[in-house]
Amino acid sequence: MGQVQEEHRTSPAAAEEAELLARLREGDERAFESLVESHHGRMIAVALNYVKTRDIAEEVVQEAWLGVLRGLDRFEGRSSLKTWILRILVNTAATRGGREGRSLPFSSLAPAGEESPAVEPERFRPPGEAFAGHWNSYPGDWTTLPEEALSGRETLAVVKRAIAELPESQRSVITMRDIAGCSADEVCETLEVSPGNQRVLLHRARSHVRAALERHLDD
Amino acid sequence: MIAHKFLRPDGTSVFTGFRWELPNGTPGEWVEASAEPCRSGIHACRISDLPLWIGPTLYEIELDGDLVQQRNKLVASRGRLLRRVEAWDDGLRDAYTRMCADRAHELTHSVEPRLEAWDAVVEPSIREGPALLGFVAARIAEEISGREAYHTERARQAAWLVERLGLEA
Amino acid sequence: MTESDDHITCREVVELVTDYFEGKLPADEAELFEQHLNFCEGCAWYVEQMRATVTAVGRISEEDIPPKARERLLTAFRDWKR
Repeated sequence: MGQVQEEHRTSPAAAEEAELLARLREGDERAFESLVESHHGRMIAVALNYVKTRDIAEEVVQEAWLGVLRGLDRFEGRSSLKTWILRILVNTAATRGGREGRSLPFSSLAPAGEESPAVEPERFRPPGEAFAGHWNSYPGDWTTLPEEALSGRETLAVVKRAIAELPESQRSVITMRDIAGCSADEVCETLEVSPGNQRVLLHRARSHVRAALERHLDD
Repeated sequence: MIAHKFLRPDGTSVFTGFRWELPNGTPGEWVEASAEPCRSGIHACRISDLPLWIGPTLYEIELDGDLVQQRNKLVASRGRLLRRVEAWDDGLRDAYTRMCADRAHELTHSVEPRLEAWDAVVEPSIREGPALLGFVAARIAEEISGREAYHTERARQAAWLVERLGLEA
Repeated sequence: MTESDDHITCREVVELVTDYFEGKLPADEAELFEQHLNFCEGCAWYVEQMRATVTAVGRISEEDIPPKARERLLTAFRDWKR
């Protein structure tokens, strides 16, 4: 965690952020508008991890921004602005979603020893046999699919459903990483999870979505 | 130092897609990268590494700057392609594939009882080309005689390449 | 840790993909990973599938903020600066 803060303080992004903060504190409306615009999509996506409907998610995001404004004068820049905003959002959303205000560390939520492999073992040659561990039959070559197959509405629906099926910890990580575009460090800070844990959760989440896509595209 | 590098037919790197300036009578331009193994840096093969990285086209590459010797490759901070190894063409790739397949059959038949299941893997693998067959042959050798034999088989493959490509060992 | 120091299986590859994308595989494992991909078409396709999956997830909409919500926030901002 210390490493992240150190890098943040000295990076060019930090200088940009310091300027943005100054403008916000001076009451620069345009600065605030652009901040809100740039974060809206990812905040909605993250909020939807915790609350059921789009409308409630919009409310939660609004509430989070109020919290941001309330805390803006006291914000010291120890973490990035984006991480800080998302943390406020996560806490707001979790509270609204009916959980305790203080999110529990995910390590205490993840079921111990839950080992679901990324791909079912039957897809590979069994141990002890020739070429053990290699594919029985290869997965598909998706590069030969037409563009729409992976970007069309049906496919998006499959992806959304697959994400909704995930356990909360996996869902949060994949949402923040792959939808909200947060870095690994940002996710670890916001969700208070170790880097190793974050990767495991991300791996399981992505593997699950891939499998859902595969089933969909094989039909 | 001089080493070798496999590239895709279009001159891009297999894993990074980086587009190299291909030599055409004269060497290509120098490329700079920091030598952090597997993070960035220019990857190249020593002779012994060649069988592990078999690819469509082969180039001689000059390396400079910081150099890291990894287990099965070199990583350098500077490199430029010197010349294409013309001898590495479709014909030789097929010959290498066949050589490895024949070795695989020889190995599976060299024990009692024969390794029928492994033998059955060989011919269907041919369509996937030299890299796979090289692995299959070395893997079968390992199955029979252990880890050393895997490396010995790989060394055999490298020696074959040196001879047929006219490389300096 | 991989089953062998000299080669990895497809079953291992599918578990290492995310760490590979993140650049978190130790150098030796990353090397084995790439060696395997070099000869195994199936795994090369699987890794592509994982890349495509990440891209597909990323497409879940970035929505624009509804005008009313934007107005409410601007009002809150003006109140705050006073």
